[in-house]
Amino acid sequence: MSDEKHNAESHDSGHDHNDNFKLFGREFPLPVYTGVFIILGIVTLFELALAEIIPRGGLTVPLMLILSIGKAALVVWFYMHLNKDSRIFAAALIIPVVMVLITTWFLTIVPTFAY
Amino acid sequence: MTDMSLEKAPVAAEAAHGHGHDHFAERSNNLKLAMWLLLASEVVIFATIISVYVVFRVGPDGSKVVEQVHEIIREWPGIWLVTINTFLLLTSSWCMVMGLREIQRDNRQGLIRWIMATAVLGIVFVALQYVEYTELSHNGIALFNQGNELDGFGMRFYAPTGFHGAHVIVGVLWALFVAWNAKRGNYSAKNYAGVEVFGLYWHFVDVVWIVLFTVIYLV
Repeated sequence: MSDEKHNAESHDSGHDHNDNFKLFGREFPLPVYTGVFIILGIVTLFELALAEIIPRGGLTVPLMLILSIGKAALVVWFYMHLNKDSRIFAAALIIPVVMVLITTWFLTIVPTFAY
Repeated sequence: MTDMSLEKAPVAAEAAHGHGHDHFAERSNNLKLAMWLLLASEVVIFATIISVYVVFRVGPDGSKVVEQVHEIIREWPGIWLVTINTFLLLTSSWCMVMGLREIQRDNRQGLIRWIMATAVLGIVFVALQYVEYTELSHNGIALFNQGNELDGFGMRFYAPTGFHGAHVIVGVLWALFVAWNAKRGNYSAKNYAGVEVFGLYWHFVDVVWIVLFTVIYLV
């Protein structure tokens, strides 16, 4: 596998001792994992506020879906280590999701009832 | 899944060949590739049952039913229960990676503590999901049609959330297995592929819940 060397290197560097969380160029005295966790929590609360407190507008649902995808991407990128591992692993998530999205879109445009 | 033989094999290989580190890295890559392929099949299953819900949700009958269900959930503090569950899973994912971080620093006790926290959070998640299901069924949302105006929703709701709950239960058992393995000294700073592979599974379960939380409960 051509990615093997890259993976072996990422495996070697798996325990980076300077793994402080950085955001907008500023370094915080906490691990990256904890920083990501805090962001996930804040975004979840914001999503809840969008759904339950803030009056709904035309962009509310798309915004909630974008936030949800963003949260999922954070988990995949940092916690599932796609930022260090071979990117080919991402295909395992992306290809099936794209296939199902196309199928779902197709199903929603098929007439519900026969003419 | 990892087992005892998988954990011990590299030790023997290292002794025999003297280049154990490469062997560890190669084995880790192979295990991760296998796990990602398993996750690909899981994505297909979850995406399919979620898309069934979405097609129902955007349909003319489904949107009315879902509005009624959301009203029921708001009357009873269901959304807060589900939000607590969401935070439980997010926290458990954080515990999982912190455990991985500990074993990468050769701290087995740290790994055990974090993994046990992951398992406990998973157990509480399943318990709260049981409470939620019980309350919803009392409000007429059941797996099969009850002859009420909410018919059609139950199966499309319980399929993805129940299937996800089953994954959490498997994850909890796997977490306990990893903790047991750690207690036996089968992981170290150079041999933690079993922890990493379990982490991939657990985070995937978290990712699925992130999507379910938004698509089913909020939208």
